[in-house]
Amino acid sequence: MTAAALYGNFFYSIYDYREYLKESVFRDLRKKYKRSSLGYLWSMLNPLLMMIILTVVFSSLMKGRVENYSVFLFSALLPWTYFNGTVKSCIGTIRQNAKILDQLPIPKYIFSVSSSFYNFVDLFLAFVPLLLVMLFTGHPIHSTIIIFPLMLIPLFFFSMGLGLLLAVSNVFFEDTAHLTDVLLRAMYFLCPILYNRDMLPPWLVKYVVLNPMFGIIEGIRQLLYFGTLPNLETFLFNLAGSVLVLGLGLYAFNKADDKFVYFI
Amino acid sequence: MSASPANLVENQNTQAVGFDQAAEPGVANAVEISNVTVAYRSYKERPTTLKETVIGAIKHRKFRYYETFNALSNVTFNIPKGQVFGIIGSNGAGKSTLLKVIAGVLPPTRGTVKVNGSVDSLIQLGAGFDAELNAIENIYLSGALHKKPRAEIKRRIPEILEFAELEDFATTPIKYYSSGMFARLGFAVAADRNPDVLLVDEVLGVGDERFRKKCEKVFESFLASGNTIVIVSHSLGNLSSMADQIGLLSRGEFTYIGDPATAIERYRAQDYKTRLTQNNS
Repeated sequence: MTAAALYGNFFYSIYDYREYLKESVFRDLRKKYKRSSLGYLWSMLNPLLMMIILTVVFSSLMKGRVENYSVFLFSALLPWTYFNGTVKSCIGTIRQNAKILDQLPIPKYIFSVSSSFYNFVDLFLAFVPLLLVMLFTGHPIHSTIIIFPLMLIPLFFFSMGLGLLLAVSNVFFEDTAHLTDVLLRAMYFLCPILYNRDMLPPWLVKYVVLNPMFGIIEGIRQLLYFGTLPNLETFLFNLAGSVLVLGLGLYAFNKADDKFVYFI
Repeated sequence: MSASPANLVENQNTQAVGFDQAAEPGVANAVEISNVTVAYRSYKERPTTLKETVIGAIKHRKFRYYETFNALSNVTFNIPKGQVFGIIGSNGAGKSTLLKVIAGVLPPTRGTVKVNGSVDSLIQLGAGFDAELNAIENIYLSGALHKKPRAEIKRRIPEILEFAELEDFATTPIKYYSSGMFARLGFAVAADRNPDVLLVDEVLGVGDERFRKKCEKVFESFLASGNTIVIVSHSLGNLSSMADQIGLLSRGEFTYIGDPATAIERYRAQDYKTRLTQNNS
């Protein structure tokens, strides 16, 4: 299958199964909040609490180097939480839905897409406390915020691509989830979340910028915290990297598609 | 697999299959299967982690952990529209593989499968259900998975609940259901989809006598509207009264297709012979 066909099928499947995606995203939300009295507030409280803890610990370390560390941190935590959540929930999707896949010929990545969309809802819910923190700390809300949705494109592609690769791997290797934990932890510290690019030694920057997540997080922080536009070249580089990673994920999925039935 | 007496019998019968399946002109086929071979992989002591795989590759230079065998070899047959087609055979004969091939979830290694119209499985009841959700939410979810528009699902809900006799438990999460209730909901949801070809795998055993009668009625009205049923079963008595034709599968090949009584007779004879050879060896 050509790259165009892989991408075409992928996006057509999303359109074709839009009813199911809607239904399953709402299901996941309902399930998550059914038995908690705070309900949807959790989606807003979670990142808020995380931010508070990290701010308390790191703002003194960063003393003088970063102004309003809570917004600095929160703006980068948004895309990271989405990425982390999507990748982690993609891993098990094929095994969890084995019974369905055993009798219904549907595109198998639809379950991964569903968990990615679910995490998007969480991301938008977390936007509310970010705005509150900005208002509360008197941080200016820059007009560049309107570019934010554009940054979600490479974010979606990259998270999806990595999630699909790991979902395929998990069908064959049961220790994929453990390896992913290590991978995600390493990535967390190699992305500009707790710090900024200029706080890293230059020799390291050369390498870490190759990770599209680095540029995506940095770009989102520029839009939300600094109020500056990300460099177009960097944006395109990260977009290309993300498209490539999704392509790899789709290729691996397509390649392994016929073999899943032997393992699940 | 060495040549056993049972094998010889099979070979004689393969020719008969051709005669029974002579194309009847003017009769539309619901399912057309020609020369289908499925090379199945059976894994032995496969490492299940990446760690073990790497160690195996480095230490023992071992990369391949499977043997292939033909779960189906060169199977050709047609199922005319409106028929009940039964499939029998001992364990491992390829019955479930055949259903998966018709359902479209297992692409054949060689050969072609053609299903005229929609196909749906009653293989594992309630496969798409989520235990945390209630009946109504599950009906929506399962309907959406089959690409049914929400408005249409909504219209069908009262009827589905009535058939499953679960009106009083519609808002109870199905994890609190008894296995009978679960199966009833699964059957009701699947039956409501009304596909052109229905694949059934041993599900008639669900529920009590009364519900089973109800299921049989569904099958009858289903057939009356010209739809087709492919059914795998071990309860030969049930099958012989229901099926128009029965195919006898043995080690991935049809050794007989045709009259139900004859198929069952041959199955019993073959079963007996296999047991004899097993006892002798």
